[in-house]
Amino acid sequence: MNLHDALSEPPAARASGRGLVEGTAKRLVRHAARHAPPALSERLEEEWLADLSGRHGAIPRLSFALGCCWATRVIAHELGAPVRTAAATAERAAAVCADPGRSFFSRRTMIFVLIGSLHTLLIYGLAAGMARKVLDVLPDRIQVALVPRATTPQEPPPQTAHVKLQKFQVAVPSWHRDSLVEPDAVTISTVEPQPPTVTTESHAKPVNRVVGGPGAGFPSTGDYYPDAARRMGETGAATVQVCVDRAGRLTADPVIAQSSGSARLDEGARKLARAGSGHYRATTEEGRPVNDCYGFRIRFDLKD
Amino acid sequence: MVSRDVRMSLQTLKVLEAFLADPTDELSGADIHRRSGIASGTLYPILLRLEAAGWFVSRWEAIDPASAGRPRRRLYRLTRSGLARAGEVLASFGRGVRT
Repeated sequence: MNLHDALSEPPAARASGRGLVEGTAKRLVRHAARHAPPALSERLEEEWLADLSGRHGAIPRLSFALGCCWATRVIAHELGAPVRTAAATAERAAAVCADPGRSFFSRRTMIFVLIGSLHTLLIYGLAAGMARKVLDVLPDRIQVALVPRATTPQEPPPQTAHVKLQKFQVAVPSWHRDSLVEPDAVTISTVEPQPPTVTTESHAKPVNRVVGGPGAGFPSTGDYYPDAARRMGETGAATVQVCVDRAGRLTADPVIAQSSGSARLDEGARKLARAGSGHYRATTEEGRPVNDCYGFRIRFDLKD
Repeated sequence: MVSRDVRMSLQTLKVLEAFLADPTDELSGADIHRRSGIASGTLYPILLRLEAAGWFVSRWEAIDPASAGRPRRRLYRLTRSGLARAGEVLASFGRGVRT
């Protein structure tokens, strides 16, 4: 019987108001005593009923009875609560063991475990870089363009040279691309060497001119491969035109002489060329570095 | 029963003071309520606490409920050690002790 039942149960002495109050007060006292620790339950019920009989008046009786309900909670908290809790736990465990169809974990426990597992997965995912991959899936800028079939980038056209073959022999410089010092892990190919400068002077000596290019310490293409292009599998080579002084520094902002077919790759090539300032090999004439503008190709492959 | 410290409160002091009016008296909960004015919700936990601490002893009233026309009461009485401790406590709180 709970408190609600004790109050709502029709008392036997409902015929009169006094009987109603007395019956209610006694029921409250019995209810309170029965919820006290078992060792004290009978004693408190008898003691409280005896003391209740010493009270006169409806309000003192009800007040006393309600006080007993409160006293039960205090006493149970101080004396009997741990015992009752342990007993209840033992009963529940025994019921679980006796009923094989009943889950060992309560529904609340399962919910707690589920929530804990989800939190653990989320934290692990964030720690393992899932968030970065999620962000990478979304390109920072969406470009809609028809990507042409993979074609071999065309070599830049040679600079215009006024050659009068009928009068002069063209002296090819002893320059070989293989002899250049290429940075490690950089897939950069220089443009085909420009035709040698030919003078129209009848007795001019051929100039031993070596076109510059990326030198030692030049940044790697892997560091400048655009993330969006890498995710979308874009590859290609762009030709970048740079103007380099004798110290290997850029004297002007690089420009794309020939596009790779992807604006992202072109932008990456331009950034790479810009970042390589100070690491260019200057063009040399007769072994002396000179200011010059030349183009070179930057290839982005997925292996980068 | 081994005596031990009891958490003192104003209500606990009132209960002790009710007994110290005549330390030999045996009082029921209703009697203590009349003397101290403490409500039942506070009074009975204090009585049980003091009894468990050895300050009080209690017994059932030796009557025949049928012939007396009322249920027997639970009577509380200060123990010797309880009387001494109650006197000390009330003296320390400046209330004075009547012996």
